[in-house]
Amino acid sequence: MTIKEKLKHIIIETLNLEGVTPEQIKDDDLLFGDKFGLDSIDAVEVVFQVDQHFGVKIRDMKEGRRALASINTLAAFIEARR
Amino acid sequence: MQIDFKHRQSAHCESGVSSNLLFHYGLDISEAMAFGIGAGLFFGYLPFIRINQLPLTTFRCEVGGILKRLTRKLGVKIHLEKFRNPEKAMAALDRGLENGIPMGCRTGAYWLPYFPSAYRFHFNMHNLVVYGKEGDDYLISDPVFPEIQRCSRPDLMKARFAKGALAPRGTMYYLTHVPGDIDLRDPIRQGIQAVCHRMLKVPGPIIGVRGIRFLAGQVEKWPRKLGKRKAALYLGQLVRMQEELGTGGAGFRFMYAAFLQESAGILNKNRLLGLSDQMTQAGDLWRRFAVLGARNCKDRAAESDSFVSMADILRECARKESEIYQELLAAVQ
Repeated sequence: MTIKEKLKHIIIETLNLEGVTPEQIKDDDLLFGDKFGLDSIDAVEVVFQVDQHFGVKIRDMKEGRRALASINTLAAFIEARR
Repeated sequence: MQIDFKHRQSAHCESGVSSNLLFHYGLDISEAMAFGIGAGLFFGYLPFIRINQLPLTTFRCEVGGILKRLTRKLGVKIHLEKFRNPEKAMAALDRGLENGIPMGCRTGAYWLPYFPSAYRFHFNMHNLVVYGKEGDDYLISDPVFPEIQRCSRPDLMKARFAKGALAPRGTMYYLTHVPGDIDLRDPIRQGIQAVCHRMLKVPGPIIGVRGIRFLAGQVEKWPRKLGKRKAALYLGQLVRMQEELGTGGAGFRFMYAAFLQESAGILNKNRLLGLSDQMTQAGDLWRRFAVLGARNCKDRAAESDSFVSMADILRECARKESEIYQELLAAVQ
């Protein structure tokens, strides 16, 4: 499973995105916003899961905001720091 | 009309604006250093102040305090003005821009149209720099965004005069004098002492490490006292204040750790490096608390994510931070 696929599964499972399949999350979709109904409270869980699954910490929120934009940006962030 | 102003993204608005304004006048101070010298780190659980009808928990000092202390310690002069009349406030902003001065403004973030809806909530302490105007649009260096933003006059006016708790009342500020050569050592020591004093020695139960313990006791009681729905709302507010846009993450603990790391070199005190690591660990604990809080808000908490568990984490935060501040005080004496 690629990082992007794994991220999609993690997000769906941990954020209880009922009725959403990994295929429905496009790599460049905005993660937080109207499409999936996710908000900044959900971002806290994503930051935690990225640490748990990939051992990558997002501590600088300046970087975090950029990284959490989409699956593409998050995967690139993880790749760069693993 | 556009001032040659360098926009640099930052984690937190007030320290970012402070750092960017100083940089404009030739003083290159990182955001973390601005936050540390400005003694920005704080904890206060203030249930008598309501934001969105929910109690305020703050992880930073008073609004404007970072900029005030930073400029004072560095010998920088600043002009700050509040307004009653929105039209006069906008006219004063325009005059400043015409004179080539980048203008700091305090705003209600909710009314800034470029804020994405997912991150938008009523927050009246958001700082930004207006550095130009094109047609009816103002050019804005909003430090929490990677790129320059634009905002129409009516929207900016509305944001500058947002209503509610801690209303900005058109607050506008600009630097009038920046000294050339500055020794950071004393300002750093004084900034650290101010934070330690505040976190350890302010009397009363709701401020500093005592305040963190007090909050732990409250969090434990919330489900019984408030019911599940309201307890989740209280938690949501708390998590937003700790991790939301403009906080620097983990209630500013990571940013303060970066400040201590940078200060270790300037003061030639390796001890601060160890304390920086400890502060990062404290930040990780705060974040663990936020994760449990988020799960409870969103109704996906497991049994181990209980309010009691959250209270335990808060008590551990208080214990750890108490040790850090005591050691920090000794290190900079």
